[in-house]
This record gives sequence, structure tokens and C-alpha cells, in this order.
Amino acid sequence: MLRSYDILDTDPERAFDDVTRLAARICETPVALVSLALGDRLWFKARIGMADETGPELDSFCQHAMEHDGVYVVRDASIDPVYIDHPLVTGPANYRFYAGAPLIDDQGMTLGMLCVVDTKARPDGLTETQHMTLEVLATQVMALMERRRALTARRLSDEQAEAAVEVALQASEKLAESEARFQAIADSMPQMVWSARPDGYHDYFNARWFDFTGLTEAPSDTDAWSAQIHPDCRERALAAWQASLANGEPYEVEYRLKHHADGYRWTLGRAMPIRNSAGTVTRWFGTGTDIEDIKRLEQVKALLSQELSHRIKNIFAVISALLSLSARHHPDAKDFARSARNRIGALAQAHEFVRPHSEESRPGIAGTTLAAFLLDLFKAYDGEDGVPRVRITGDDTIFDDQAATPIALLFHELATNAAKYGALSRPDGRVDLTLSHRGDRMILVWAEHGGPELEGPPLIPGFGSTLLAMSVEGQLAGRLDLDWAGEGLKVTVDVPQSALQPRRTAMAVA
Amino acid sequence: MKGRILIIEDEILIASQLRDVLEDLDYTVVGMAANVSAARRLVLAGGIELALVDIHLSDGPTGLDLGREIGQGAGITVLYLTANPEMVRDGVPGTFGVMSKPTDDDSVRTAVAFAMQSRRGGPSRTAPRSLTVFG
Repeated sequence: MLRSYDILDTDPERAFDDVTRLAARICETPVALVSLALGDRLWFKARIGMADETGPELDSFCQHAMEHDGVYVVRDASIDPVYIDHPLVTGPANYRFYAGAPLIDDQGMTLGMLCVVDTKARPDGLTETQHMTLEVLATQVMALMERRRALTARRLSDEQAEAAVEVALQASEKLAESEARFQAIADSMPQMVWSARPDGYHDYFNARWFDFTGLTEAPSDTDAWSAQIHPDCRERALAAWQASLANGEPYEVEYRLKHHADGYRWTLGRAMPIRNSAGTVTRWFGTGTDIEDIKRLEQVKALLSQELSHRIKNIFAVISALLSLSARHHPDAKDFARSARNRIGALAQAHEFVRPHSEESRPGIAGTTLAAFLLDLFKAYDGEDGVPRVRITGDDTIFDDQAATPIALLFHELATNAAKYGALSRPDGRVDLTLSHRGDRMILVWAEHGGPELEGPPLIPGFGSTLLAMSVEGQLAGRLDLDWAGEGLKVTVDVPQSALQPRRTAMAVA
Repeated sequence: MKGRILIIEDEILIASQLRDVLEDLDYTVVGMAANVSAARRLVLAGGIELALVDIHLSDGPTGLDLGREIGQGAGITVLYLTANPEMVRDGVPGTFGVMSKPTDDDSVRTAVAFAMQSRRGGPSRTAPRSLTVFG
């Protein structure tokens, strides 16, 4: 197969030209060619004595020649019936004589011809020497082609090998470069950076880690690594790490890490798994962030706000005491002082409920919900047997510190009023307080049962009614409805849900 | 004379108001102390049956340990009266109970009467709502 020689359309080569020139010299012709045929196409690897533009017209000579075995000779084309009308014979080229030896590959296929052409007819054809030379030179051309093919193949395989080596080199350079870049980034980070194998073995620590711990060698195993963690935190940190290794979930834990000079410092440890295309974890990349200063600030802040909160609560007690002492010398002010002190007490309770708490001072209730707060507020009215006399049912809701004051004042007034004039003034009296969501509103219904007969519109005397209206309509932007149609006072408070958690609402809007 | 009471409270207004309430109820207030050393001096003088103890005093949050000390060492019935009742919600050995501050006169009256009665081994009743008795 000609294709396997990969020779078509290649540049002229001296070895082919030399052989072709020798053929022309020995055969004493002005023109000699190495023609190669692929299908209908004829192409010259070498041409002596013929201009470039000539060529394809020769096909009929070579096509015919290739159909013959051995050397093919046309002694005088002008009288040969096959060529007599050929353009190369009748035209300006004026060819008369053609002799060609086939180029035969090792499979016995004729790939083309080594041929000589003359404008003079040669009635005697080729001499014996010329005939033999043409055959030998044709074999030589084949030998050149074979050698060429072998060389090409070797060059190709050499090139492939070189290319493969190049690719490998580039890849390893890239890898080294990316490793170096990673290390440069990792070392410039203010955090400690490490990586670990899927089995949890830490195989890399950045410079910051060594700076922090003061160690000069990476720990050899998990025990050595975890030895840097404070004993109080070690078990927890290791458990979190083992859990992440087992389930592939990101790892995040705070622990105290031994600093080379500064004792143990709080550190936030985090790690993310790197997965391959199959989803298997191939490596863990982790960071350690020194959060000691933040922790200390947090503690100071918490202490400060607890201290402040405690002082505020104490001020309620001082004001209460001041009122009592002041009223002592004015017997007519005694009732006033008592009710004012009780209202202050309700405010203090509201404050106690919503203020920032430390772990020690946190009330033993779950969350800041309306029902939990009201239960606490009404504890003072519980029966002697400890059974609540204000029964709270319905939908509970979250409420925050800004709503606590009006809610505390509202229900304090209702409860003290009930204790003086309403259901709670009778041993068997009770109150049903129903909380219900209605769209974005919260409806609170206070219904008294078993109190004294009501003879007309209920009257909450004096400042109490003003306080009710101020709390509901003023601060909570709600509606207040007092009703006496039933067996006791019924108060309906209708407030927007958002008014119970103004802080949360404001945050959601922002 | 219903009983001898020591008030340990650093806010003079609160201490004075408590004294007035207790004296109105015919108790004897043997003294008011604003810190640990003043309290110890008064305790050393003896004769105290009950102490109302604030946790935060003028020398810091020293009331908690002071309550334990005089409750266990001097046999005084200690009633904490604090704005921070959760600090002792798990109870303090040798002390009686805790009340939340601010409180009203009636709660002081019932709580002190209950504590005095318990001290003297009177018939057991349910503790008043305003008082948390340590178990």
C-alpha cells in the first residue's frame, strides 16, 4: 500500500533525485521521473528535465506501464496506436519515447514507475545495459522508499515517546508548581492549615502550625497530634474528627491548642473533605483559627451584659424599696405605693425573663415563649395547692424583650384586678387565657369564671385601665375589647404577630 | 418578740425597707451588714435566728458563701434574697431557701414566718409561693 509509505506530497529528496538523474543519464533521455499512483492520482516524487506544471497528462503512459509486468517501452508514440492522438505526443511536449520500470513493494503491488522520456523516437528501444539499469534503479527507488518508511516510523515513535515524556514532565512540573503554590498560600495564611489522608493521618502542616505549637517536626500519628490539644477538649475533638472521617461530613470543633509560649489558646478547627469523581474522600484539608481573643472578648461582653442586667434588676428593687420607705410617713399613700410597687415587680419579672443570662442564671424554662412567660407571671396567683388559677391554652408564640414590658403590664393589671374584684377574689374563681393565631394576628382572650356577679360594664379603676390601653393600643399597636356579657369579665386583645417580636421583625426587614 | 433577724444587703434603701417591714411585724432586726466582714462581726455577737442574705454585696458576689458559712457554722436559718435567684437554684448546703427580689411586703412576711416556724419545728405547711425552699 502506497499510503503506508506516507510519501505523497512530501518535498523532493536528494536520494530520489540522484537515482532519477542517473536513470536519465544512462538511458540518455532529457526527462526521468519517479511517478507514484494512488487511485486516479499521479504524483512525482522526483522529476528530472520536466517543468513542474506538466504531469497529470502522463498518466496514460504510466497507467499503461503499470498494467504490464517488467519494463514497459514505447519506442515511437507517434506511430503507436495507443498514443498516436495523445496531447503529449501531438502537443508542444512532442513526446515520442517512453520506458518505465515498475516500483513493486514487498507485497508484489505496483506503486508507480521509474521512467525515462524522450522527444525523439527510438526504434531500437533500450539497450540491454539501459534496460537492466532501469530495473536496478527501480529496485533502488523501492529501497529508498522502504528506508524512508522505516525512518519515519522510528521518528514517529521517537516523537511519541518524547511527547509522552514531555507531557509527563509538564504534569509533574505543574503538580510541583501547584504544590508549591498551595504551600505558599497555606504559609501566608494567618490560620494554621493542615491536610490529612482519608484514614485521618495528618500528612501536612503549614508554617503557621509550627509557629503556633513551637514544634519542629510534624507529629507522627494521631496520638502525637492530639497531644497538643488540652486534655479537657481532647476527647471531644477526637470524637468529632473520627465522626467526620467516618461519615465524610465537614468537621468543626472548638478546642484549646497548646501554644509554644502562651499556654493553651482556644482554636476553631475546621476541615473539608476532597472527593474524587467517584465521591470517595481522597484527602482532608483543615484549618485552625486562633479564637482566644474573640473568646475572651465574648466572655467579657457576656459578663458585662450580665452585670448590667443584674444591676438593672437590682434598681427595680431599690426603686421599690424607695417607694415603700417614702410612703411610710404618708399613710394615705400606702395603697398607691403598694400598687406601684407591684407594677414595678411585674416589670422586674419581664426584665428577668428576657435579659441576657449566663449559664448559671438562666431560668429553668425552655425558650422565650409567651405561654412560658405568662405562666411565670401568674405564679403569684396560684392556689395554695400550687394549681394554676389562670389556665393558658392555645397557640404558643415566640416573643422578645421589647414586647415583654407591655405584655407584663397588661396581664399584671388584669390579674391584680381579678384578685381584687373579679374571679381571683373568690377561692373557686379561675381564668381561662386562650392564645390563638389568626393570620398575622395574635388573639389573646382573658375570660374570668366564678367571680362575683357583674352588674354592669366592668370597670377597671383608675390608672389600671389607662395602663391597659397604653400597653395594648399604644405599644403593641393592637385592639383592646372589654366585655361583661358572660359570667365574668372577658377581655380580648388583638395584636399583630410582629408586635410580639419587634426585634425579629426588624431584623427580617433589614 | 417573734425572732432575731440579721439583714445582709448592700443597698441601704432595700435594707432599710426590709427592716421597717420586719419591725412592723414585731421582729427584732439585730443589724444590717453590707459586706462579709460586717456580717461576721454581727454573727459573732450571737443571738441571731435568721438572716436575709443578698448574694451581691459591696465586696462582690460573696453572699453565697457567706450564707453557707453562717448557716452551717453558726446555726442561723439563711434565706437568700436576691435579684439573681437562679444562682442558687440547685440549693446551698446549710441554708434554707431563696426569694426573688424585688418582692412585696406580704411575700417577705409569709416567707420569714414560714422559715421561723420551720426552724422552731412547728407544724409543716406548704411553703408560700414567693419562697423556694431548698430540698
